[in-house]
Amino acid sequence: MSRLLPFISCVYSVFSPRSSRVISWRGSPSISPLLSPIPTGLTRVLAAGKKSLVDFPVLNEDELKEQFVRGSGPGGQATNKTSNCVVLKHIPSGTVVKCHQTRSVETNRKRARDIMREKLDVFYKGELSEVVVKKKDLELRKQEKKRKATENLERKRLFKDALAADSKPGNDTV
Amino acid sequence: MWRSAGYRCFGPKGLLGYLAVRTFSAPALPAGRITALQAMDFWKRHFVERGVTEPDHSSHYILAYLLGAKTIESLEQRKLTEFLSPEKTEQMWKLCSRRLSRMPVQYVIEEWDFRDLTLKMRPPVFIPRPETEELVELVLTDLQMKSGTGVGADNQHTCLEVGCGSGAISLSLLKSLPQLKAIAVDQSQAAVDLTGENALRLGLQDRLQIHHLDVMKEAETVLSLSSSVSVLVSNPPYLFSEDMTTLEPEIFWFEDHAALDGGNDGLKVIKQILTLAPQILSDHGHVYLEVDPRHPPLIQRWVEANVEDMHYVETRHDICGRPRFCILQREESNRDHKLDLD
Repeated sequence: MSRLLPFISCVYSVFSPRSSRVISWRGSPSISPLLSPIPTGLTRVLAAGKKSLVDFPVLNEDELKEQFVRGSGPGGQATNKTSNCVVLKHIPSGTVVKCHQTRSVETNRKRARDIMREKLDVFYKGELSEVVVKKKDLELRKQEKKRKATENLERKRLFKDALAADSKPGNDTV
Repeated sequence: MWRSAGYRCFGPKGLLGYLAVRTFSAPALPAGRITALQAMDFWKRHFVERGVTEPDHSSHYILAYLLGAKTIESLEQRKLTEFLSPEKTEQMWKLCSRRLSRMPVQYVIEEWDFRDLTLKMRPPVFIPRPETEELVELVLTDLQMKSGTGVGADNQHTCLEVGCGSGAISLSLLKSLPQLKAIAVDQSQAAVDLTGENALRLGLQDRLQIHHLDVMKEAETVLSLSSSVSVLVSNPPYLFSEDMTTLEPEIFWFEDHAALDGGNDGLKVIKQILTLAPQILSDHGHVYLEVDPRHPPLIQRWVEANVEDMHYVETRHDICGRPRFCILQREESNRDHKLDLD
């Protein structure tokens, strides 16, 4: 997947004045500006009604924040820190993924996103199932109510008919 | 897997590092058997005591390497509670003792990863930094676009790298683009050798030419190698000379200063690359540079004033939001350029 025109909003937080560690939280660079930003969950809901379901939610980079540890200096050649753990946070759902599977920051970033997609799929699919189940339950209850109401009406009608038939002359039912 | 070879000494700083190992007494091997977790814990505490930076990361990477993995997190957790064999324990002690001298982990285990490649590392050849992985992404996007356009989809592109070090950039590009050819130069014979070794290990040697050249002193030779280069890429030495003295021991004692020191303003090698760029690049070819965060506006001004036929395209930021990459483009020109090396 080629990345076009990343944009960055950077927030630095120094953990302690003495420490040389700086962790920077940043908005993730957008993977593609061509996709209109839709909330991740919404993609799934919209797709659910259609015949072909989207398998994994599309990650919207605008909703992600990444964390790295790279030192407080200028970085680059001036630093040789080996910590390349990536922490990825999905803001709307609060899901956090931590990845330190490899010694490459770039690879860890990609894998963190893969894991995030899986987690969000479960997250949203789970919700979706619940919604559907609840809906079905509600529908069933409505139908039950209706059926009982109809039955009652029918019983009343029959009873009325029976009464009318009884009160006709020639009937000896005192 | 791990050889008991010593590391080479390279002049005063290397010798200092070597002496440092000699003067530090390494802790004795444990009497009984210990688990991986116990070994890591022991060395983490020992690193802390000795003022070795990144004590936990250092012990983790070394142990993971010994167990055949890249990181501790990628290992099955139960493996960490198993006892280490006497051999592995001895290796752990030997490698961690090297780290006591502030030798970078990458040199201790003699390898490191760059994007999807595992590269051999050897002092004093410069260790690839994570920022440079993004430089490669930028170049890849460019080359993929260049390959996609054009009638008949002519995919025969060549890139030239100045200052290849361990070969990280060129080999990464070659691995990702099967049609690409690369030319790599470095003023260090050690770097040229290491790039060659890594190329062979990765099976990429057929598409890579490596030359031992100093771009400052042998510009004409560099120019003679390059014909229709689509991309010129470099992570040149860009530190300011005055900043060299504040480098951490891992860098100052063990890495080649010539790979780091860019002169008073850090622009010595960068300026030379950009001066030669119009003659190296084909029309509309691009230059991709990794630089110091202070450089981009300086480079833009300098190029506009001093290098006809090159124009500054844009500055890109690294993963920590620092201005880090400069992209320039060679303008179309019909004129014949004469080499002017004053």
